[in-house]
Amino acid sequence: MIKDTLTRLQVLLRREIWESPIAFKWTPVIIAGFILLFTVLALIIGMKVDNRMVFASDSIRMFAELDPEAKRLIVSGGLFSISAVFTQVMFIVLVFYLSGSLYDDRRDRSILFWKSLPVSDTLTVASKIVTACVIAPLLYMAGVALIQLLLLGIGTVLALIADVNPLTELWLAARLPRQWTLLVYAALVQGLWLLPIYAWLLFCSSWAPRLPILIAVIVPVLIGTFQHFWSLFSSFSLPEVNLLWIVLQRIGAGVTPTSVEWETISRDGNDSFRPSEETLMSFGSVTDHLFSVDMLVGLVIGLVFLVGAVWFRRRATDA
Amino acid sequence: MKPTIYAENLSRRYGSTVALDSIDLNVPSGRIVGLIGPNGAGKTTALKAILGLTRFDGKLEVLGLDPSKRRDDLMEDVCFIADVAVLPRWARVWQIIELTEKLHPRFSREQCMKYLAKTKIPQNKKVRALSKGMIVQLHLALVMSIDAKLLVLDEPTLGLDILFRKQFYSNLLNEYFDQERTILITTHQVEEVEHILTDLMFIKDGKLVVNASMDDIYDRYTELMVRPDEADEARALGPIHERVLFGRHIFLYEDVDRSRLEPIGELHKPSVADLFVALMGDKEELAEQVRTMEGAA
Repeated sequence: MIKDTLTRLQVLLRREIWESPIAFKWTPVIIAGFILLFTVLALIIGMKVDNRMVFASDSIRMFAELDPEAKRLIVSGGLFSISAVFTQVMFIVLVFYLSGSLYDDRRDRSILFWKSLPVSDTLTVASKIVTACVIAPLLYMAGVALIQLLLLGIGTVLALIADVNPLTELWLAARLPRQWTLLVYAALVQGLWLLPIYAWLLFCSSWAPRLPILIAVIVPVLIGTFQHFWSLFSSFSLPEVNLLWIVLQRIGAGVTPTSVEWETISRDGNDSFRPSEETLMSFGSVTDHLFSVDMLVGLVIGLVFLVGAVWFRRRATDA
Repeated sequence: MKPTIYAENLSRRYGSTVALDSIDLNVPSGRIVGLIGPNGAGKTTALKAILGLTRFDGKLEVLGLDPSKRRDDLMEDVCFIADVAVLPRWARVWQIIELTEKLHPRFSREQCMKYLAKTKIPQNKKVRALSKGMIVQLHLALVMSIDAKLLVLDEPTLGLDILFRKQFYSNLLNEYFDQERTILITTHQVEEVEHILTDLMFIKDGKLVVNASMDDIYDRYTELMVRPDEADEARALGPIHERVLFGRHIFLYEDVDRSRLEPIGELHKPSVADLFVALMGDKEELAEQVRTMEGAA
C-alpha cells in the first residue's frame, strides 16, 4: 500500500516536471549559462587590458602563497556564493508555479482528466508541495554544481598558465563533496522553512476563482497595511505584530548564503572576528535552524494551509 | 449482486436553483443507459455526482462506494469522458499514455496502442497541437483500454465526423461492452445511440420523467401513422402527441390496446427523438404547431 502510494507519487512528480520543463530543468541551466557567459566576457576583457596575463598570473601565484584557511575561504566561499542566485531565482519561479498548480487545470478543464484517474486529492497536493520543497531544490543545486565545475575548469586553465598546481590549490581548496552535501542539506531545510509560504500559495491556488497569485499577494499586503494604520491611528505607534513584515522576514531569513546574520557577527565578533567558510553556512547552523521554534511554528501553519488546499481540491471541478 | 448505480432521493441545489430533485436510480450491471434531457435539465450534475465531482444530498452508491468520499478508489473501476476535450494541453501523447499506465492499475497499453494505430495521432506531438477530433480519439482510446466496470460518456462524440462516430459506437458495442460492464451515455445526438441502448432515462428540471428499459418503452408507447381523413378517429383514442409529416398524421399513444389502432393505420416503434419531443416538449406550443400545420394542409 505504502509502496504503491510512493510509486504513484513518483509518477506525479515526473508529471510536474513534464508540465513545467522551463521552470525546473531549463532555468537552472540558463542561470549557469549566464554566469559562464559573464565570466568568459570578463576574462576576454581582462586579457585585452592585461597583456600576456601578467597581473592575472601574479595574482594567482599570490593566491597560491596564502595560508590554506584563507585559500579555502576564497575558493569555497566564492563558489558557494553563486548558489545565492539560484536560490533566489528558484523562489520566484516557485511562487508562480505553486499559485498556478491547482488553478490552471481548473481553468482549462483538464482537472476532469486528472480526477478521472484513481489518484487521491491528498496525493495530488502532496506532489505539488514535494516538487517545491524537494525536487526543485535538488534540480537547482544540480545547476549550482554544474557552474561550479565549469568555473573550476576555467580556474584550472588559468592556474596552469600561471604555473600553479590547480589540483591542490583549487580543487582541494573548494572541498566540493562537503560543499555539495551542505548545499543540498541547506536547500532542503530552506524548503521546510518556507513551507508556510509555499502552502499558502498552494491554498490560494486551490480555491481562487481567478488570479490566484494576485489574491495570494494581496491578502497579506492588505492585512499588513491595515495593521499598520490601525495601530498608528489608535495608539500613535507602529504595530508590534505586522503580518506583512513577518512574511517578508521569513522569505529573507533562512539558510541561504545571503541570510548571514551580520548582526550576530558584529555583536559577538568584536575585533577578533575572522571570516571563515563557516561564516556563510555550516552544518551546525543549518541544523540549529532545522530544530528552531520558528521552524516548528512555520511547519504547523504550513500543514494547516495544506489541509485547507486538499479540502478545496476535493470539491473542485472545472470552471 | 450490488447495483452499479444506486440512488435514493438524490438531490442537488445551487442556491435557489434545483439541479437534481429527489432522483431514485437503480442501474444493474450489463446495461447501456442513455440519459437524455434538454440543456440545463441536470444531466451534467447527475453525472458529476456519480463521479464524485460534486456534493449532493440523499443517498448515492456507485459500485457500493459513496462517490463524494471515495472518488479515488472508485476511479479504479469507473472511467469517464467529459463533453469536450479535457486532456492536458501541455502533455505529449506518449506522456499521457505513460501517466495513465502508471496511475491506472487496469489500463492496458497494448490495447491502447491497438486503438491508436487506427488513427493518425503522432505520439510525440503535444495535445495542444492535435486537432479537436484527434484529442477525442486519443481520449476514447485511453478510456476504452481501461478495464472498468462503469463507463460514463458525456457527449463523447461531439465534434467528430460521422465515420468515426459510427466506428466508435460499433467498437463500444462489439469490443468493449459485456455483461459485467455498464455504460452511461448522455448525448444530444439521440438517433446515434438509440439502437444500442438497453435503458432510457429522460430528465427534465432535475426530475426523471422516464426511467425504463427499451423493451418496456416499446411496450408502452406506440406510434400510429394515418391519413388526414382518419385523423379524427385516431384522435378519439387519446394520443399523447400528434404531429404531421408529408401530409400524414402521426400519433403517439401510451398504454393503448394495439388491436384498436391497427385498423386505422400503420403501427411503428416510436423513435427516441420523437418520444423525447412528445414527453419533454411544451405541450401548448406543440398543439399550436399542429393547428398551424393542419391549416396549411
